[in-house]
Amino acid sequence: MDIFKIEKSKLKQFLDDLSKKYSVFVPAKQDRVTSFKEITLNSQLSTLNSYNTDKPPKDIFFPQTETLFTYDENSQLSTLNSQLSKPIAIFGVRPCDAKSFTLLDKVFDSEKYTDTYWKERYKDALVFALGCNNPLSTCFCNWVGGGPFNKEGADISLIDIGEAFLAEPCSKKGEEVIHKLSLQKATEDDLKKGNQLKNEAESMLSKPVEISSLKEDLDALWNSPKWEEIARKCLNCAACTYLCPTCHCFDIQDEGKSSKGKRIRIWDSCMFKLFTQEAAGTNPRPTGKERMRQRIMHKFNYLVETIGEFGCVGCGRCIISCPVNLDVREVIKEIKKVRN
Amino acid sequence: MENIEKQLRETVKKLLKEKKVDLVIGYSKGTLPLHSTPVFITHEKDVDNLIFDATCGNNLAKYLGKSRKPKTKNRKPIGIIVKGCDGRSIVQHIVENQIKREEIIIIGVPCDGVIDTRKLEEKVGRKEVLKYQVEGEKIIVEGKDFKNSLKKKEILSDSCLMCKYPNPPVYDIFVGEPVPVNENRKPNTDNLESLSPDKRWEYFEKEISKCIRCYACRNACPLCYCEECFVDQSGPQWFGKSPDLSDTMIFHIVRTLHTAGRCVSCGACTRACPTGVNLAPLGIRMEKEIKDRFGYTAGLDTEATPPMADWNENDKQEFIM
Repeated sequence: MDIFKIEKSKLKQFLDDLSKKYSVFVPAKQDRVTSFKEITLNSQLSTLNSYNTDKPPKDIFFPQTETLFTYDENSQLSTLNSQLSKPIAIFGVRPCDAKSFTLLDKVFDSEKYTDTYWKERYKDALVFALGCNNPLSTCFCNWVGGGPFNKEGADISLIDIGEAFLAEPCSKKGEEVIHKLSLQKATEDDLKKGNQLKNEAESMLSKPVEISSLKEDLDALWNSPKWEEIARKCLNCAACTYLCPTCHCFDIQDEGKSSKGKRIRIWDSCMFKLFTQEAAGTNPRPTGKERMRQRIMHKFNYLVETIGEFGCVGCGRCIISCPVNLDVREVIKEIKKVRN
Repeated sequence: MENIEKQLRETVKKLLKEKKVDLVIGYSKGTLPLHSTPVFITHEKDVDNLIFDATCGNNLAKYLGKSRKPKTKNRKPIGIIVKGCDGRSIVQHIVENQIKREEIIIIGVPCDGVIDTRKLEEKVGRKEVLKYQVEGEKIIVEGKDFKNSLKKKEILSDSCLMCKYPNPPVYDIFVGEPVPVNENRKPNTDNLESLSPDKRWEYFEKEISKCIRCYACRNACPLCYCEECFVDQSGPQWFGKSPDLSDTMIFHIVRTLHTAGRCVSCGACTRACPTGVNLAPLGIRMEKEIKDRFGYTAGLDTEATPPMADWNENDKQEFIM
């Protein structure tokens, strides 16, 4: 496949052109927090050079709050028209996050279930994944089958070579789009530079811990007192799960009065007591121990069973955001220790 | 500080050895630079994991709340390592009948203030700090392609810069030398108070709109020990659960009111926030209000009656028409 080049001096123009056909999202900083925002005339693109965003991009396809329908006693029930005016394009998402889309897609759009809200947004989306020249010490994508220049989930894979981005189409959609954009082809030197950056970045990551048997390790651990130990310092807030690019549990709520209101879907978190609080008053996950077990099991055991992959892309946001520095890599190591 | 750690470890080792406690809650080195992590020590062999420095920002009194309080064998007291603010939070727990004084052995440590990593990020930019070293009042931070020398006070938590109680008011054992108290310090939110109400509201709207309702602030707060938080009431539900600004604002305002006369302005809420919402001014302002109105400072006296649980005929009542 041909590899193209987007000059940084022409990036703004490139994104403006792209935004004629797409709603374009880029990493942006607002009040100290970085997240993906729809590009506007005044958008700064400086955050592209920085490391991954504080907030994951999952909310572009799976917003924290989503109105499913509204009701009014004087009129019919109205399902919101979730059809988009333009398909979504995300520029500069990191490879771990690009991969998270493929995991979420397996959950939200499977043979068994289709979530129309997710599907409507994701099916035509165009993902430009930007390789990480400088992975952080908290990055562990290489533990879970990823890498700083992985292309999984990307339609077009980008490498920042200084003055320009190399752009390599890696899906049929990406291939079609890139040929319509009048881009220069990359030179031999550019490609060489790209390769060098890739090798350097890969060597920056620490050696991965072998976790291919983690599912089986966890199968044997259900009743272990280890969970209590692991969960002990956890405060049971949802920083880890809300900032996780793959966590996707949600709750359904009705807001409004009996005469008028809306039904919404909102993110939920297994860290909360309310997560499985039952109407009759019982709770199968009454303490932090059961909730921590649920989080780890869902990611490294249940999803392996249901979608065939770990529900973790190694972005490290849960490590950075945890108020008590509860590091999931340490949890994994502890789990492995129990069986070995 | 190295000296303190040595003394601290010896103290804890002795307590465990003499079987005065069988659990000590403290801090150990975190997996990230400039982070510590709470640790629960039950064996003498693990004592050397204990640290104490400017990275120890968690308020460990959190772990004494009824639902979290670890059950120890033989009902021995729990040893807990506390800075000034943790110590004051423990006093509040005692005042509020959450724990009995004899159930804990308080190991006090002097505190020069703890680091707010968000402030650090503002100083060095969005770069990853990989190493740090404290040299007197300076802190040298280092990353892949930079080395910065910062004044420690530039990156200390706002709450610490206003703290008048760097040493715990109540303790069983004190390790190290008490930090001299700066009497001029007091809860200060003048910057915000000098703004017009509209501008102030704008400020809070901007801050609170960053909130993702993860409740890290509440869950890191030593005084937020309610078995069921008002925001978690589900039968019927009291509040909307989405990060809608109005619901979110109400959550933070009610939480501030519920911690009135109890909050010790430790700043744990602000430091816990993953999106950098600056919540500290709410608590600091409330602490000031309580001091002005009732002459009360939370967390100093285990025998005190909290002002919100008391009535006095001399209480100011100018607000009654």
